[in-house]
Amino acid sequence: MPPYEDWNKIDEEEDEELQDASIYEMKRDVILFCIDCSESMLKLYDDPKYEDVQTCHLYTALEAAMQIQKKKIIVGPNDSVGILLFNTTRKSETTRTQGSEIKRNTFLFQPISPLSASTVQEVIQLLDAAREEPGELRKTFPPLTTGRVPMGDVFTSCNWVLRDGAPKTASKRVFLITDEDDPHPAAGSKQLITSARTTLIDLTQAGVAVEPFFISTEEKPFDVSNFYSSVLLPTNLGDEDELQEESSVLPESISISRIEDLLSQMRFHEVPKRSLFSIPFKLGDGFTIGIKGYGLVTEQKKGSYKYFVDLGDRMEVATVRTSYVDEDRQADIDKTKIVYGADLGAGGIADGDEDNEESSGTFGARVVKAGSRPFYTAEEIRSFRTLGLEPGIRLLGFKDRSELRFEDNVKHSQFIYPDEMSYSGSKRTFSALLQTMVKKGKIAIALALTRRNASPVFCALLPQEERNDETGWADPAGFHLIPLPFADDIRMAPIDEAFRASDELKASARAWIDKLVVKNGAYPPDSYPNPALAYHNAQLQASAFREQYDPDSFEDLTEPKVGSMHKRAGKLMKEWKTAIAEDDSASLVIPATTGSKRKADVSVDEAEIKSKYDSGALAKLRVDQLKEFLKSKGQNISGKKAELVERVSDWFDAH
Amino acid sequence: MPAERAGYTVTMFLVDVSSSMGNVRTLEVESSDGETHTVEMTNLAWGLQYVKLKIQDMIFNNRKTEQCGVIIFGSEETKNVVNTANGGYENVVEYIPIGQPNASTMAKINALEASTTSGDHRLPFSQTGRYLASKKTWTRKIVIVTDGESPIEVEDWEATVQKMDSLNVSLTVVGIDFDDESFPYIEPGKSNIKAQNEKFYHTLTSSMQSGIVGTCAYAIQETTMPDVKQVRSALMGTVLRIGDVDARADEAVELSVKASKCNALQRPKGWKKFALREDKDEEMEEEEIDPDKTVFAQLRMRTEYYVDRNPEDDTDEDGDVKMKQEPGEDETLLESGEKDPDVQNLEKVEKEELVRGFKYGTTYAPCPDGQFPKLQTRKGIDICGFFPRKNFRRELSMGEIQYIWAEPTSPQQQVALSSIAQAMLEKECMAIARWVSRDGMDPKMGVLVPGEFEKVDCLLWSPMPFADDVRKYTFASLDHLVNKKGEVLTEHPYLPTKEQLEAMDNFVDAMDLMDAGEKDEEGNRTPWFNTLDSYSPAIHRVKQAMFHCAVVNDITTNPLPPPHPELLKYFEPPKKVLKRSKEPLEECKNIFKVKEIPKKVAKAKKDGHVHAQDEDDNMLLLDHKRPLGASASQMSIVENSISAAAKGKAPAEESETEDEEEEELLLNKKKATPPPKKGVPFPTPARSVSPHVDPGRAPGRIVGNTYPLKDFQKNISQGDVVTKAVEDLAAVIAEVIMKPLAARRTQEMLECMEALRRTCLEEDEIDAWNLDLKKKCSSKPGNPAFWEGVKEVGRDLSLISNQEAKKQGGKSDVTENEAGEFLS
Repeated sequence: MPPYEDWNKIDEEEDEELQDASIYEMKRDVILFCIDCSESMLKLYDDPKYEDVQTCHLYTALEAAMQIQKKKIIVGPNDSVGILLFNTTRKSETTRTQGSEIKRNTFLFQPISPLSASTVQEVIQLLDAAREEPGELRKTFPPLTTGRVPMGDVFTSCNWVLRDGAPKTASKRVFLITDEDDPHPAAGSKQLITSARTTLIDLTQAGVAVEPFFISTEEKPFDVSNFYSSVLLPTNLGDEDELQEESSVLPESISISRIEDLLSQMRFHEVPKRSLFSIPFKLGDGFTIGIKGYGLVTEQKKGSYKYFVDLGDRMEVATVRTSYVDEDRQADIDKTKIVYGADLGAGGIADGDEDNEESSGTFGARVVKAGSRPFYTAEEIRSFRTLGLEPGIRLLGFKDRSELRFEDNVKHSQFIYPDEMSYSGSKRTFSALLQTMVKKGKIAIALALTRRNASPVFCALLPQEERNDETGWADPAGFHLIPLPFADDIRMAPIDEAFRASDELKASARAWIDKLVVKNGAYPPDSYPNPALAYHNAQLQASAFREQYDPDSFEDLTEPKVGSMHKRAGKLMKEWKTAIAEDDSASLVIPATTGSKRKADVSVDEAEIKSKYDSGALAKLRVDQLKEFLKSKGQNISGKKAELVERVSDWFDAH
Repeated sequence: MPAERAGYTVTMFLVDVSSSMGNVRTLEVESSDGETHTVEMTNLAWGLQYVKLKIQDMIFNNRKTEQCGVIIFGSEETKNVVNTANGGYENVVEYIPIGQPNASTMAKINALEASTTSGDHRLPFSQTGRYLASKKTWTRKIVIVTDGESPIEVEDWEATVQKMDSLNVSLTVVGIDFDDESFPYIEPGKSNIKAQNEKFYHTLTSSMQSGIVGTCAYAIQETTMPDVKQVRSALMGTVLRIGDVDARADEAVELSVKASKCNALQRPKGWKKFALREDKDEEMEEEEIDPDKTVFAQLRMRTEYYVDRNPEDDTDEDGDVKMKQEPGEDETLLESGEKDPDVQNLEKVEKEELVRGFKYGTTYAPCPDGQFPKLQTRKGIDICGFFPRKNFRRELSMGEIQYIWAEPTSPQQQVALSSIAQAMLEKECMAIARWVSRDGMDPKMGVLVPGEFEKVDCLLWSPMPFADDVRKYTFASLDHLVNKKGEVLTEHPYLPTKEQLEAMDNFVDAMDLMDAGEKDEEGNRTPWFNTLDSYSPAIHRVKQAMFHCAVVNDITTNPLPPPHPELLKYFEPPKKVLKRSKEPLEECKNIFKVKEIPKKVAKAKKDGHVHAQDEDDNMLLLDHKRPLGASASQMSIVENSISAAAKGKAPAEESETEDEEEEELLLNKKKATPPPKKGVPFPTPARSVSPHVDPGRAPGRIVGNTYPLKDFQKNISQGDVVTKAVEDLAAVIAEVIMKPLAARRTQEMLECMEALRRTCLEEDEIDAWNLDLKKKCSSKPGNPAFWEGVKEVGRDLSLISNQEAKKQGGKSDVTENEAGEFLS
């Protein structure tokens, strides 16, 4: 992100793009970590990663919570997080002004509040202390030794905590972390189960979704059917939880994992699933289904900076207000009165004649007859952009999968999934369409207007079958909506002819490429965290924690693994290099292009320049020769001759 | 052929203003909604529309290297250099000298009127040539606009042609009502002179290297044809690295390459904002006010910064730096009309006093530079590895594609890149690469594939997502449904049946586009839809609209014509396909039975709770918390289809009995409505209760005039469209009370207002309420009777005060006193 002075200005050209992002920013997200603190969670065992360190489930759970906090604080600075522990005897301090007292044996470690550096640091400090002294967690949160707190009480506490702390409009979720699959085994459990379910329903009624993360170990496997299946809902049927906030049913997937995978499981749920649009998909006249669209790939950018005012005791964000003014009058114009027109053009033609009244208007004004309106209203210009279409996707037909070319891409895709709640029968129709297209190897071409203020685009609908991978992640079934470039976006190839390699040379290249191909590999997004973003965020965190940042601690995972590349293919690459050097093309010179102006012969042999460099006689070359050489090396060609010479010699120094 | 050099074009318009150009013609104008009406204008004005559209094109592109000038002939006056110096060239005026056009150029052209002279004139070609000659390397164009009704001196035209060809001038003649058989237009009763002139123009242009005659109507129509400016992408030098070029230079490879854009997303040009100048101000002393004129002033954006020194929020108990809400939220509020920063405790601050920083949650993270030190990176494209092409996930492609070419001046580099590209093609693999566009720029990850061209090998780059860019949402499986017992279901309304799959199979076949396009040279059908012919409707429509408003002076009387048909050609499937798919489509409609679900009726939340407690353990919990309308309709669908499935295909049989299998699934069996007959697939209660009452929703509104309160509550209960619902209900109330017989609905409207106010208070739409109420109160003529009703209710319908707001966690800029007094 460049430090533009006017970063905060709303760029009209990007209205559309801004809309896109705002969908995520508009709604706040609240997560309440609800972590079991019982004996088994506190049981110490040797840390699998570090030697001579003891850890426990609670430690891992808190660490995961802290990691999520750290991520959230950057991605959604307005999101709130809280941590509630249950099965602990620690009493909530009454000094906390916030909210009502919660049920016994549940403890509110961090109330729901917007994240700040200190909340994160509080957890970090606790974790650090626990690293030093493994008994620390037990001391801080003494476990309940006799029996367990009824799950109903836990849910009730969650409800109260969320009610007190979470903004009304936010999406609210409880991340339930426990390793106990049967909290109420004894007699009278029927009662407790009923109460657990009732309270859970209360919670859902309040618009809270519960996302359980169950910890399963070899000694203590987690069996959902012991208790939770009768409390929570079965996984698959009726996944409509995203449909209506208020009818948010129980989670569609219950995650049961090893403790080591807890964090990665949480990552899947870190961002609340929100649809970008919910529109009809018209397959034919009178044949329309409902779909929802999701953004599965979107560029994650660095946050933008804000302007702060130093108020002495604190820093306050300045509110940015943009207004539109008529400069001659210095008058603010009410937004509703603004009309829109084309650029009047920059000055150019000399204003020669004074007798022309029409041109007497000052710059940036247009004079017309009284009562006339040469401009459009906001409503009108919106209809120009959409061509009067209503949001929706219109199927145009089907094409072979191979027609979707690599180069037909300008933007990231979106993902669509049927919406049974707007059109009944959408799921079966969608499913049938998907299966048929997969079977036939087809893509669909469609005209899509996804939002009212977007522009219509032609899209390819790429079917995706459901696929489970070994990490427990499932590629969902649905269509990828891939925007196609318009004729306006496509540029012609500027080069249509060049020298080509002989078969021997190709074979030589093939030899080292073969060595570097990962069989069954694919592009692995997960292995490439954005280094620039990570570097920025690390510094941001250090700045917020008032710590010094050590740039050396940063590791860029996107850099090529040159070590193993050389090990595998180094020799073959060298052979290929030699083959190229010996190739006939080495002696060829491209004939000078026949231009209107004849240029001086600037083609200089690299060897010649090298020899000049070696003898320290680079300055004998002409400026255009130096420039030509630098250009061919992709170097900057600006500056005086001395600078060019220096740059050329730098280049040889480096190579 | 290299693409035409962008810009560097000079155009001279020669406009005939002789008296015949003043003849009035009647023109059919079609507006975008397809209605036609007639407009009267002079031939000159009509011809000038073409000139203005062309000039607007230059203004639109805003290039210094696209210039034009206007010379008029057939005028009363004479004002040109040749005449001043040597005489001759009577009735020719250099009206606008060559330069970059702008709004005043347009204004001058608008001021042109036909003269009263007619009679011979000599076309001022050599004049024009003189001007154009000054732009040596530019592309030179002459455009003549004439009706051809005046005799012209035609002597020596061969010399003129020679002269023009030697200067490389192209000539376009736009003739008013010239004949054009291909357009087609033939003017009836053409005068002799005109026929001769037309013939002359045809001879003239055809003897030139580049000359053309066209009739005005066609010329104007063609200006709206979407045209794509061929942009030649610049070649950006960079290097392609394989391996460690620093430490293991003997093995590592470094190729010098050029990158150029393969596609680049274009956007419609932005609109400029204008506003009507209200001339009543007294500050207008120095400018004369012409009552016949209206002035629209262009607006500039002004950004100001405000700070709230005393936010009423109490500080965090941790003593943390506490910050206000996102500025973004306030912004919308401020922009929504009421601009009174003082009321909101806002204090203006100068930009110089501000420091930059980031928000880390609610914590201030100082960063005076606006950015932290960037990652050290080195320019170039590094290859990280290869993988089989079949494993490429097309949907992950993130953006614009680029070409990677070998250095055009080095055969050796070309051969090297070619060998890599060919080997990759042969191996069917792709490369993973990391691209840094300049030293210190943020790296991007992407893939490289070999480009397939006839005579050149290159690579294509597509940016791919980082881990941070991928969101993993979980979705329920579409075909793997499990019931409560953990059994996998094979029959369910969500699962398509065999018949349905067959119907879809036929539909997909019928809608195939692979043979629906034009025939190629060999007579084979080509696929329909080609990106190279698909023009961006938004870009070209917006452009057309901009041109239109620049050349006409009133949108209301002269509305924007419909878009060029070329723009809409891909908006519907081709006729052939539609015809072919007619039957399969009907079949699909009948067998899939997709029905739109009416918007839900909200149900009090409490009910769901009670309901839940009564349920017996057999029941699935799935649906019972949904509001009644939806769940009821859902359930009956489930039930109906299940029983249908269970019974096999027994036609038209009553399915009142349910077997045990179903019980697992039926969500609410005992309470569900009895299964309906099969012939009537979806008589859901919600639909049948109030089947066909027009909700009276204006386009774009979610609250209708017929049942506003119901619509409103429905929307509020869904939670996500609160702002819109509030806005719409307010608008509906305003409309209803202003209609005749409003008195009948007074009570209902008061209820609406109560509901609206309650919602505004609870859902933090307080300002919307307050603003709206103030506005309505002051509106004229208004409905005094209704206001009496409102006043009777009194305080409970007045402004929302800050006290009330605070209780709900919001804030308001109205004090308790103001609120109390407002309606009294």
